[in-house]
Amino acid sequence: MDYKYIEQLLESYFDCRTTLQEEQILRSFFSQEDVPGHLAEYADLFKYEVEAKEEVLDEKFDQRMLNLIAQDEKQKTCAIRMRTRHFVPFFKAAAVVAIAITIGNAAEHAIGEQEAEENNATAISPYTQASEVQQIIRIKDVSQAKTKPKNDSIIGITTTDGIQ
Amino acid sequence: MLDFQHDILPLKNIIFRTALRIVLNREEAEDIVQDILLKLWERRRELERVENLEAFALTMTRNLAIDRKEKMDNRHVTLDQRTHDQTDEESPNADSLLMAQEKDRFIANAINSLPEKQRCILQLRDIEGKTYKEIATMLNITESDVKVSLFRARNEIKEKIIQKKLLFL
Repeated sequence: MDYKYIEQLLESYFDCRTTLQEEQILRSFFSQEDVPGHLAEYADLFKYEVEAKEEVLDEKFDQRMLNLIAQDEKQKTCAIRMRTRHFVPFFKAAAVVAIAITIGNAAEHAIGEQEAEENNATAISPYTQASEVQQIIRIKDVSQAKTKPKNDSIIGITTTDGIQ
Repeated sequence: MLDFQHDILPLKNIIFRTALRIVLNREEAEDIVQDILLKLWERRRELERVENLEAFALTMTRNLAIDRKEKMDNRHVTLDQRTHDQTDEESPNADSLLMAQEKDRFIANAINSLPEKQRCILQLRDIEGKTYKEIATMLNITESDVKVSLFRARNEIKEKIIQKKLLFL
């Protein structure tokens, strides 16, 4: 049998002039059992090239991979939840501050109103007091006997008037 | 829409073999496959526009594998330094394990002792059957660069085959 073609291909192979098809021919040729002696030394190389492609990952790997993908998807939803959970203390703190401010404002407002009311009360008082005083004075005029306790209030009112 | 089982998972074997050729350690190579497949899955939306997913995956694989190999080698250096003082019981050298497995696999050893770029190119051309153009794209080099490296790789192995023959004559 003439091996000139194979010998030529082999030479081209080492010169990187072979096509992928020609390289496949070499692999097929060297895969057979009876390779002639003078070419036998190259058989291991081409046999190895075929064998090395049989190196694969088994189904266990696939299963592990699919589990990881499923887990990854689950973790992502968890991560989103975790991210919001991360801010919970801040939300709480913000809520506390907000409540404090609201209460503060409300309190200030209430005190303000109270003060305003008090102010109003004192502001209005001159008229009311005036009429009261007039009444008291009239009562006083009518009977001198029961004026004692009323007198205190008159003094009180007039003192607040004095402050004003 | 990319499907994990139909589009990404089938790349596992070529990724595994390419990674294995670079890191020369099965466990590490399997780890790399896992990481690459997960990364591809995470980026599935942007990958829909990628023309050749396999080439893209193999570029990622090579980069990651080179990185891991460097880290492995560094780890071994520190391990070697430690074993000078300690008894040599802990973590057997991964490379030597692989060497033991392939002790009588002359060709495998010849290929694995080539420089990384050469053995990676030889893997892609002679084992995976990729064109020069595909390999050039994957490695981001020119086609003539691929040919030069492949030429050196094939001839280095040829040299070893001839030497071996002479030794056994």
